[in-house]
Amino acid sequence: MIITKMALPRRTFLRGMGVCLALPLLDSMIPALTAMAKTPANPVYRYGFFYLPNGVAMNHTGVDFWKPTTTGADFEFSRILKPLEAFRDQLSVVSGLHHRSAESLGDGNGDHTRGTGTWLTGAHIKRTEGSDLRAGISADQVIAQQYGKETSLPSLELAILPNAVTGGCDTGYSCAYGTTVSWSSPTTPLPTQSSPRLVFEQLFGDGGPASQQLADLRKKNSILDSAADELASLQAKLGASDRSKVSEYLDSLREVERRIQRAEVNNAQSPLPDYERPGLGVPERFDDHVKLMFDLQCLAYQGDVTRVSSFMFGKELSARMFPEIGLSEQHHSMSHHGDNPANLEKYAKLCTWQSELFSYLLDKMRATPDGDGNLLDHSLLLYGAGLSNGNIHSHIDMPTALIGGARGFKGNRHIAAPMGTPFSNLLLSLVNHSGIESESFGDSTARFDLDDVPRPPTSKG
Amino acid sequence: MKVSSGGLFLATAILAGTVAVSTTSSSQAPAAPVAAARAVTRAPRPAPATTTSAPALPSKAFVDRYCVTCHNERSKTGGLALDGLDITNVASHAVEWEKVVLKLRAGLMPPAGMPRPDKATIDGFRASLEAALDHAAEGRPNPGRTEPFHRLNRTEYQNAVRDLLLLDIDASSMLPTDEVSYGFDNIAGVLKLSPLLAERYLSAAQKIARRALGTPGPVGGDLFRISDQLDQDVRLEGMPVGTRGGTLVRYLAPRDGEYVIKSRLARGLDEDIPQFLGDQHLEISVDGEQLKVFTLAGVAPDATLNVERQVYQAPKAQGERARADVNDQPAQANARGDKVLGRRSLDEDWIVRVPLTAGVHQIRATFLRKTSAVPEGFRRPFLKPYIGRGIEDARETREGASLRTLEIMGPFNPAEATESPSYRRVFTCRPAKPSEETACAKTIVSTLARRAYRRSVTDADVNVLLDFYKKGRTDGSFEQGIEFALQRLLVSPSFLFRTEFDPSPVVAAPSGQSSRSADAPPGAYRISDESLASRLSFFLWSSIPDDELLDLAIERKLSNPVVLEQQVRRMLKDQRSQALVKNFAGQWLYLRKLPDIVPDPFLFPDHGDTLRLAFERETELFFDSILRENRPALELLTANYTFINERLAAHYDIPNVRGVHFRRVTLPQDNPRRGLLGHGSVLSVTAFPNRTSPVVRGKWILDNLLGAPPPEPPPNVPALPENGDKVTKVLTMRQRVEEHRKNPACASCHKLMDPLGFALENFDAVGKYRTYDEDFQPIDSNGVYADGTKIDGVAGLRQVLVKHSDSFLINLTNKLMIYALGRGVEHYDAPAVRTILRDAARQEYRFQAFIVGIVKSAAFQTRRSES
Repeated sequence: MIITKMALPRRTFLRGMGVCLALPLLDSMIPALTAMAKTPANPVYRYGFFYLPNGVAMNHTGVDFWKPTTTGADFEFSRILKPLEAFRDQLSVVSGLHHRSAESLGDGNGDHTRGTGTWLTGAHIKRTEGSDLRAGISADQVIAQQYGKETSLPSLELAILPNAVTGGCDTGYSCAYGTTVSWSSPTTPLPTQSSPRLVFEQLFGDGGPASQQLADLRKKNSILDSAADELASLQAKLGASDRSKVSEYLDSLREVERRIQRAEVNNAQSPLPDYERPGLGVPERFDDHVKLMFDLQCLAYQGDVTRVSSFMFGKELSARMFPEIGLSEQHHSMSHHGDNPANLEKYAKLCTWQSELFSYLLDKMRATPDGDGNLLDHSLLLYGAGLSNGNIHSHIDMPTALIGGARGFKGNRHIAAPMGTPFSNLLLSLVNHSGIESESFGDSTARFDLDDVPRPPTSKG
Repeated sequence: MKVSSGGLFLATAILAGTVAVSTTSSSQAPAAPVAAARAVTRAPRPAPATTTSAPALPSKAFVDRYCVTCHNERSKTGGLALDGLDITNVASHAVEWEKVVLKLRAGLMPPAGMPRPDKATIDGFRASLEAALDHAAEGRPNPGRTEPFHRLNRTEYQNAVRDLLLLDIDASSMLPTDEVSYGFDNIAGVLKLSPLLAERYLSAAQKIARRALGTPGPVGGDLFRISDQLDQDVRLEGMPVGTRGGTLVRYLAPRDGEYVIKSRLARGLDEDIPQFLGDQHLEISVDGEQLKVFTLAGVAPDATLNVERQVYQAPKAQGERARADVNDQPAQANARGDKVLGRRSLDEDWIVRVPLTAGVHQIRATFLRKTSAVPEGFRRPFLKPYIGRGIEDARETREGASLRTLEIMGPFNPAEATESPSYRRVFTCRPAKPSEETACAKTIVSTLARRAYRRSVTDADVNVLLDFYKKGRTDGSFEQGIEFALQRLLVSPSFLFRTEFDPSPVVAAPSGQSSRSADAPPGAYRISDESLASRLSFFLWSSIPDDELLDLAIERKLSNPVVLEQQVRRMLKDQRSQALVKNFAGQWLYLRKLPDIVPDPFLFPDHGDTLRLAFERETELFFDSILRENRPALELLTANYTFINERLAAHYDIPNVRGVHFRRVTLPQDNPRRGLLGHGSVLSVTAFPNRTSPVVRGKWILDNLLGAPPPEPPPNVPALPENGDKVTKVLTMRQRVEEHRKNPACASCHKLMDPLGFALENFDAVGKYRTYDEDFQPIDSNGVYADGTKIDGVAGLRQVLVKHSDSFLINLTNKLMIYALGRGVEHYDAPAVRTILRDAARQEYRFQAFIVGIVKSAAFQTRRSES
């Protein structure tokens, strides 16, 4: 018999309406988490990256349910983006971008996997299943490494993934390339989480009375410290090249130590109440699952637990079906629409639904007061995919939209960049937008002007 | 067709001719790989004639004549160019030549339509190429280098906790999913330690330590969710006769105390409890003793039921009422007086409070079966309980009520003293007075650390843990001291990682270590007995070594070949080797994909969890029988038996099988269910939700059974046209696929894949046998394999695979090797794999011969040192 075991919260975890979480805890919890209070004079900005698998419903020969048909201000919302129209003033669509590094470049098939691996890294990923995984540091992580130091979590990586990945990854590529868009170094993919309960614990601890929590944190801290010493002594037994791999592990332990110390300080200053937690199971409906993850993401932003996050609506090649909206075909199969109008129609239905779910997060963020405005005012979110036309595995004219009002970002625009503008130019500009002065990112050739109609691409140097 | 044991020996004989097995060599000790490899070069081979010393050079003329037309520097077909390679020195391009061996062995090259010599010539060339490659490797075998740090994956972590503390945990509720490479989730190179994981390990350690020692944490409980797709109209395995559905939970009560058991019934999509004919009784019992029976009042047969539910009622005059939605029902009283809207709370107080002692209890909730048959005219339209089409369809066809969840919360009012199995396991001593405490704590943590770290413990190991014990003891009881030490132990890198270090030059020379290093290949060294014990236990059990294995390792007796083989056989007999079935076969054969397979509910209304679980169970029991009964591995393809229960028998059209338990049945000669290719599991994981895919099935066979993956498709291939799109003419699946193959770029590979898949066309997308396809066209399961052999249906396909059994067996060895070593198999492993195959041939290719062969291989016992 199939039984799924889940730990049970003392009471049921309720999903909030309009704000991140309508739990009694929040009023008391938020001040605690925002001990380093942000004030209207000193707003905090958030960056979010939202990934759609298998491309969107379009082809390159006339059908495009993503790209608006008119450009500039007051553009006409496309079918897929229509659910986001309520955010027009803070939403700009960018078209014409090409993610060249996701192309084969002699590596054969694997466009799905490269789509994921290249999306935020702008790197051509190494084709391997071994320990020599290599992509590039991703844009979210460049930002996280700069601003994450101020929060207890530098970044949060979430995804809606199946419980087990078996087969079904692109030949020659480790499945690890396909299950995250975030890389903290060119060799370190950051695992994503799909369990709402585990995310909640990661954000807010394991629960229990405040005194217990504080005691637990102290215990964990001393355990970590000792475990890190032990790891360092084991590392010393290794030769030079192996040693570097273990350094990464040591860094992980030190990073957690830092987080715990931070949580300890926050907790001591203003103890957390014993709050309710989500059940351990993963919601069975896709929309329930996505919304719960968005609740948590919004909560993490609101409480300033983290300022950077990435989210995958699913993985490439996904076999998931969506009976919730009457689609009994697999996601990946649907993306290979074969230019058949009926198939494109079905796929557009799914893509539009994803935008509807995304609007749930935007709604929440807009309804959540933050400093002198709301969360959305102080955020910049990238919404897009690793493939444009999934049917032919195209990386040309990537579906891309930017939403939010951080640092005066302007919406209500469809910026039609010259076809072929490197996607990495946009990544570079996002990194710059966060205040980091880089000259290049991935395979960028120039900055993408986020404020105005872009200049034509120029070659670097 | 002949797939009896006689046929098997025939296959063995064919193989023996090509891979050179001589009866004389079987008298030799199973010796080092080097010796075995030499034996090959001496062995008879059909053609060309062999020399006694160095093998004859493979024929350049063969390559020039049959290969380079396509595989040359200019066209590089399939990414392979052979014209520039020096065939007199195969070692310099072993990667390329191993590819050639692979394709020739599987009979895939030269492809149909190209000049092709007879089989003897191909086999002769291939044998000479293999001999040359093996000969080259003899001088400098490369055992490969496993990662120095190999993190336990989630399954291994869970099993390690089970074996260390006698504690069942659900690691999937504590740790994130592991990454997969080479088709398995235990590959060291991608099992990294991220901050996220480090944090989870810390948190898990705390929960586990508390649970093992019964320290009350935050009050909580467990929720057991029963799948909506599970048929609860029948008796389930492990349940008493006269019951149906429900669930059986092995619940670990961490401590003596009171526990609360709450049951919730399944709801319709409107979240109301449906109405049923007759009263529904749910019985709650603990350890077989009835605690309580809850009753949901039913409705009399003449009462008004929702339209969809009353199959027996007179049809409505007009069709327009036929799909009345339950949500449209006004909140009116029905015949029994229940408010319709009140139905969702009918089971609100289905709660039992019961005192439990610490330890594992069997908690059961099941429905009492009505004695009478279902009312006349009421027919169960489908075996699957629900066929919903999401939000738009609230159809419901259950016979009776179903259970949705069982919640167990506690302990309330926990007792002070506690005696759970974990507690007894940990507290190997109990201090009678405070002065004995430190000594006792030392005994406890030393014992735990030895098992958890899988080696003899050092003073440093013990002192670290004792420090934590002392810190815990200062703030609390003796138990709390131990708990803190246990928490520390569970995040120790020595527990979480299997570590293998190169011997330092100073240490390597003296003592017994040097003598054992002597038989390691140059540039490599023999791993320690303790490392060997871990490799063995994680390979066969996905867990830590038990005391017997660990003792032998610490006494340095394990590397003795006789002892080693005894241990392998012992471990395979142990129940823990079930892990090989779950984790190896589960991933190799894609059984883990079964939960994700959701066939179109309107095309396959019978498919649900009952069937899905039966598929899984069948293949697991089957693989288990081959493994444990040590049957020839080829029986995986040809066996004349399988394991079924009533549900699966109905699916397979096998008569006279009654009841939910699985039993072995012998399959007649002409039964299509013989071997893995007839299993519903394999057939359904290789299909699309709405139809079969001969291409996917063909590719699966090449990838997972023959180990010869086809080259990748060219980019941007348009999808197959679905039948609904073509109004003019209904095309059969074959015609549609053949359409596809008109393109020469596609044809070259599809000619290899498709005939394999077409041979299975008699099985639909859920593995049911059929003679007409989904468009009512007769099935044509004929085809021609790449080597020209005609294939007719599944029987013919089995014959082709048996004919290429060496490909099947080498592939099986490769997969086992990847799984055993936690790394990819490289070209330099091929000679060792061939050695394992030759040794297995002397044991009729029995399954355990492959396992023993891997364990005895240089790759398993030695390791290349750094630099």
